[in-house]
Amino acid sequence: MQSGPTGPPMPGARQLARGITATWWYTLTAVMAFEVMLVVAWTAVAVIEGQDSIARIVVGGGGLVWCASTVLLLRAYRHRDDAEPGIDWRLLLPPMLVAVAFGAAAGSLVGSWQLALMPFAQSLSLLNWPRGVRYRVTIAATLVLASLAYIDSSRISVPDEGPWWLAVVYTAILPVMTVSSLWWWDVLNTMDRARAAESRLAATQERLRVATDVHDLQGHHLQVIALQLELAERLMPVDADAGMEQLRAARGSVDDARQGTRDLAMSFRSVPLGDELANARDLLSAAGLEVEAQIAADAAQAPASALGPVIRETTTNVLRHGGGTRARLALRREGTDWCYLIANDRIAAGETDAEGSGLEGIRRRLAEVGGTLEVQREPDEFTVMARVPARPTTGEGTR
Amino acid sequence: MIRVLLADDEGMIRSALAALLRLEEDIDVVAECEDGEQAVAEALRLQPDVCLLDLEMPGLDGVEVAERLHRAIATRCVVVTRHARPGVLRRALASGVAGFLPKSRGADEVAAVIRRVAAGGRYVDPEIAADALSDERSPLTDRELDVLRAGRRGETTGQIARSLSLAPGTVRNHISTILGKLAVGTRQQAVLVAEERGWI
Repeated sequence: MQSGPTGPPMPGARQLARGITATWWYTLTAVMAFEVMLVVAWTAVAVIEGQDSIARIVVGGGGLVWCASTVLLLRAYRHRDDAEPGIDWRLLLPPMLVAVAFGAAAGSLVGSWQLALMPFAQSLSLLNWPRGVRYRVTIAATLVLASLAYIDSSRISVPDEGPWWLAVVYTAILPVMTVSSLWWWDVLNTMDRARAAESRLAATQERLRVATDVHDLQGHHLQVIALQLELAERLMPVDADAGMEQLRAARGSVDDARQGTRDLAMSFRSVPLGDELANARDLLSAAGLEVEAQIAADAAQAPASALGPVIRETTTNVLRHGGGTRARLALRREGTDWCYLIANDRIAAGETDAEGSGLEGIRRRLAEVGGTLEVQREPDEFTVMARVPARPTTGEGTR
Repeated sequence: MIRVLLADDEGMIRSALAALLRLEEDIDVVAECEDGEQAVAEALRLQPDVCLLDLEMPGLDGVEVAERLHRAIATRCVVVTRHARPGVLRRALASGVAGFLPKSRGADEVAAVIRRVAAGGRYVDPEIAADALSDERSPLTDRELDVLRAGRRGETTGQIARSLSLAPGTVRNHISTILGKLAVGTRQQAVLVAEERGWI
């Protein structure tokens, strides 16, 4: 709820997005490494076959140009989910032409049909094929490359040295290896998208729930207020006192509506007890008091539902009066109890009725969970101490 | 007689509140202002006992007005708000605001607070205090907040560095720490997050 689509992303989401990016670079590196190794292997074949330096340069240099051209294909692949289905030929035609040109030149120089078709087959398998078609393309490319290897071996005399076989086998399995790398990337990408969709859905549902709550709440109160005002309008000429009574009731209804709205808004806010105390300390020092705070390290375990209101009420009391110069805050564990203490140096005489009733309310609420409240009024210090069992008899956590 | 200045950009609320306060025997509304600049000017001219300032006003907000007046004259400021963004109370207390009220309080309660504040007391509404206490903690240090504040209008790193007397490299370090803590991509986003939560 806190961060809808307009809010900042949660740190976890950001980390995941970073993880996705890292996976992409890993995939890209793997595919490029396959291709570069293959180019090196075929260049080695050209060297062993005793080709002249032009052929070596064509196979090696041209191979690197082809490798670079496949980066464009991979880039298009990465962003394919955001693009229209199908293939954008304006962008992808140049790399495909590079693949065909390199295949034709290198294949004819080395005298291998397999090398001639390999770049095109690889570039083809990098295109954004619809689901299902890509696997057929891969299988077809593998079969074609394997059968061309067979044709090559029957047509030309095969040298005994390793690179030839390395290059031939490696070429035949290149499309499969490439597509399996991309498949892994697809899996992670789908998971990432599913997670994003899930959090969007959760945020939408929450928003709908809040909208319904607000609508019900306001609708009800506005209807009551409208009726009370109408009644006042009718009564005024005949019975002014009764009319006034209705006006006062309408004012009360407005207060109820406001309080209800506020409670609804507050129900989405909850902070750990430690943060609440830290806020109290900050507020008191902002108000010019010298604050001494002793907060237990495991304050988060204290019953927030019981102590939260105590902290709010007592801090407000201190803030309200001002004039003091020192305040002491403490939250600590004493045996099986949690003990919260707030003291300040104001003169106790300044206490108002509202404040006394506030403290009474707190005493009642604490009693409900088996806790106690002690108030000490000394000439130079006013202390409130609340004590709650570590395991209250009613639920904790939510306020 | 307590002389009161009223500043609120919503005309209906301002005039209704002024009329209600004038009904009180011991309160006299000496000025009604519709924005922060006007409130500062009028307050300096009239030297009222109490200034009742709306927090949300175009230009200077209520706390900024209170800050300026606090330095210049001996008037007491009460800030009124519809929605107390977390962090505002802290800023208000630090700049010497004597009272803080939600807008929903009736005129009789406002009058009581004005009397109390005029007599030298301080009043912080329990609702506002509850909001401030259940406030999300800012993960940023004071220095980092200074950097965000100095750059909130799109100032360059160099300008921020000059205004805070820091080295540009230090400012850049602070900014990258801020971006990491808030998990956002740009300084503008960090400023938006911090403003939304009332940290700056």
